[in-house]
Parts: sequence; structure tokens; C-alpha cells
Amino acid sequence: MTGTDDINSRKNVTGWGTQTVPDPWEASLRKVAQSGDRVEFRKLFDHFAPLIKAFLMKGMSAYADRSMAEEMTQEVMLKVWNKAASFNSGKASVNTWIFTIARNTRIDFIRRNDRAERNIDIEDIWHEADSPEPLVDLQQRRVEAVIRNALSTLPEEQSLVLEKAFIESKSHNEIAEELDLPLGTVKSRIRLALNKLQILIDR
Amino acid sequence: MISYHPDSRFLTDFAAANLPMSEAVCVSAHLEFCGKCRAHVQQLADIGGHMLARLQPRAVEEDSFERLMSRIGDGDGAQQTADAVLPAAQESLVLAEEVSSRAGLAPTRGVFLPRALRRLSAGGLHNLSWVQLGNALRVAPVRISGDARDTAIYDIKAGGRMPEHEHRGEEITVLLKGSFSDAEGSYSRGDFVVRNAGEAHQPMATQDTDCICLVSLERPVRPRGWFYRLLEPYVQYRLQKTLERNTTF
Ligand SMILES: [Zn+2]
Repeated sequence: MTGTDDINSRKNVTGWGTQTVPDPWEASLRKVAQSGDRVEFRKLFDHFAPLIKAFLMKGMSAYADRSMAEEMTQEVMLKVWNKAASFNSGKASVNTWIFTIARNTRIDFIRRNDRAERNIDIEDIWHEADSPEPLVDLQQRRVEAVIRNALSTLPEEQSLVLEKAFIESKSHNEIAEELDLPLGTVKSRIRLALNKLQILIDR
Repeated sequence: MISYHPDSRFLTDFAAANLPMSEAVCVSAHLEFCGKCRAHVQQLADIGGHMLARLQPRAVEEDSFERLMSRIGDGDGAQQTADAVLPAAQESLVLAEEVSSRAGLAPTRGVFLPRALRRLSAGGLHNLSWVQLGNALRVAPVRISGDARDTAIYDIKAGGRMPEHEHRGEEITVLLKGSFSDAEGSYSRGDFVVRNAGEAHQPMATQDTDCICLVSLERPVRPRGWFYRLLEPYVQYRLQKTLERNTTF
């Protein structure tokens, strides 16, 4: 289990130097994990459940209506409760962690409704487990802060494609089709955006 | 040493969970070999995290929290899942059992199967139904439901050549064991190799060891030689029959 000093270690590097930006939700999540603290869980619920519902309504309009989004929001928050102890503040912020849970819940739901006779366990593909190959240190924390700050400064056409990918759950191909753009244009817009967010995928 | 990685399109679509299942299985397999791409996928997930945080909230129903808590019941403390307790690194790999040599190929030991493929081979690669194609190659097709691609495990005998073939669609290969080369280069364990429609190649396994790969094809490849053209309808038939038996996935 991570110590309390972890809370203070999330660094925010700006052009002017380093300042500490604690993730306010880490402490709540830790209390849920350690003692099943329902007061803290309520705080998490009140903040995140409406965001998760918004995410599901945008990303699943083809599959789910409003009441389905409500039920799935409950599924996601149930997983937050059950998996709280596996949250690792060294790897991701609470926002990111909850995003990945909501994302997996969404794709699991879509697959269950795809008349698929055989299922792969979604958690076997999009899993949190470490592998023997250590994670390469890309200065994860620093980049996380850069992403937060830089997202709001992206040109409209770049933030639009990112929103379609991450929130509306559209692939490069689907975005190209919807915006009537060549696939290469969508790819280069996303690459430009990633470069500004300092996610430097060198290929 | 991994030299070939999924590009930004694959990684972004993977991180946002927008990839078709068979391609996601391939990317996931590569990620277990590649710490760098895993780090990128985490950065990409951060985009999702921040975008989630910036959404206009949609009110949940009034009794939503109470209903959830009644589902959780009186359980004491958070429910640590078995998943989180297990030492992840140990759990994430299965050392596949020796592949049976019934097909006449040398047995293969020590294939590290990525987590995404474990179900497929519960108990070892020998549990799959293999189709022998020529002397050097055998193929175990795997069914990934709701997916238009053909996905299979290829086992190429050391020094063996695959028939030269041209792709009518995109082909993704992830090397699980051994190495192979073609005119474009040579590839080793963990490499994620993409060939596009219209590219022809003739992969060859290295001399000293068998090569095992995960292959996902957009559409069946078209072999070039007359022999393979004759073979093709028969092979397709047998692959189809085998696919119907390989229902573990
Ligand atoms: Zn990689």
C-alpha cells in the first residue's frame, strides 16, 4: 500500500517551475479501500457518477438509452468500490483510473449486445496487471500534468478528434467517415494533438 | 529487442477501446512484451481521464446511491479482488506446455503466452486444433466473435518458409517466440508487424528455432504460386472445419 506522502508527490511542472498538485480523490479512494468508508465513497459517487453517466450517454447513444446509462453508471461505481484497493496512485490519477473502468464497462456491454456467442474476457485485454517487461519511465507524472494543462489550449479541430475518440468512442476510421476526411488527416490531427500533449509516439 | 511497434492509430484506438477485438488482442499481446508502448497507452488513458473530468455532468437518479449501497450490502470494507492480490507479473504469463509433436513439427517449449491468449490455450498450445499446411507451417485458427478478421496462431518450423503470399487486406503479426525475416527485415519476439493490402512477402523462420506468431488478417491472403492456388480452397475448407472445433476462445 502506498504511504500518505504519495498524496503530495503528484508534481505539476509548469513553465515556471514545479508545484505540487495533490489529487483530491486519492485520499477518499484510499479510505474506501482500507476501511470501506461510506462517507468518502459517497463523495466519490456524487462527483464521479454524473460524469460517468455523461460519458456513457455520449459514447453509447447507439446502444443504450438513458435508463441503461443509469444502470451502467451503477456498474462502474460498484467496480470502483470493489477495486479500490487495486488503485495505484503511482500509475494513474483517480480520473484516469475511473475512465479506464468506465471504458471497459462500456466495451463489455457493447460486446454482450453484439450477439457474440463466444466472449473474450475484456479484462484480459485491457488489463491493469504488470508484465515482466517493466514500464518504461516516460516521466509519467509530469506528462499527466502537461496533458491536463495543454488539453484546453488545443486548436478546436484537434480537441474535436480527441473527444470523438475518447468520449464518443469512435475509431480513426469512424471519425474519418463522420467528418468526411481522409484517414491520414484524422491520424495527423491526432498525432499533432498528442505531440502538444507531449505524448511522443515516435512512429 | 523489440523494433516494431503499433503506431499512434493503433495505440490511440486501443487506449480508447475503439479497436476491433482481434486487433485489440494483437496490441494487448505486444504490450506485454513492450514497456514503452504500455507507458504510452497509460498516457493516452490520461487524455480520457481528463476529458471525463471536463464533461458536463448528467444528474443520476435520486435514489441512485442508496440503490448501489443496498447492492453492496453490509460487506465490511472494500472488496479486494483476487485479481489485485495476485502478484501481477506472475499471473500475467503462462508458460505454455510443450506443443505436441503429433503434427510432425519439432516440439516447442517455453512459449510465453500473453494474457489475452491464455483462455485460448488453457493447458497449452497443444490443446488447439492445428492444421498442417505443407512441411514447415501449421496453423491453429481461433474464433474471435463478432469480428470480421481471421485470427490464428502460426507455428513455423525452424528454417521453414511460408508460401509467398499477397495481402488483400491488412495483416498484423505479433511474434510470440523465435524470429523470422522477409525481404523487409527481420523480426523478433514481441515485434508488432503490419503488412498492408497489396504487399507480397515470403516470411522465413530463422534456422535455429521454431517461430510462433499471432496473426490477424483482414481478409484471407492470396498465395501466389499455382500450387498454393490449387491448395487454397482445400485449405480454406480445413481451416473452417478446424475453426468450428476451436471454440475455447
Ligand atoms: Zn511497443
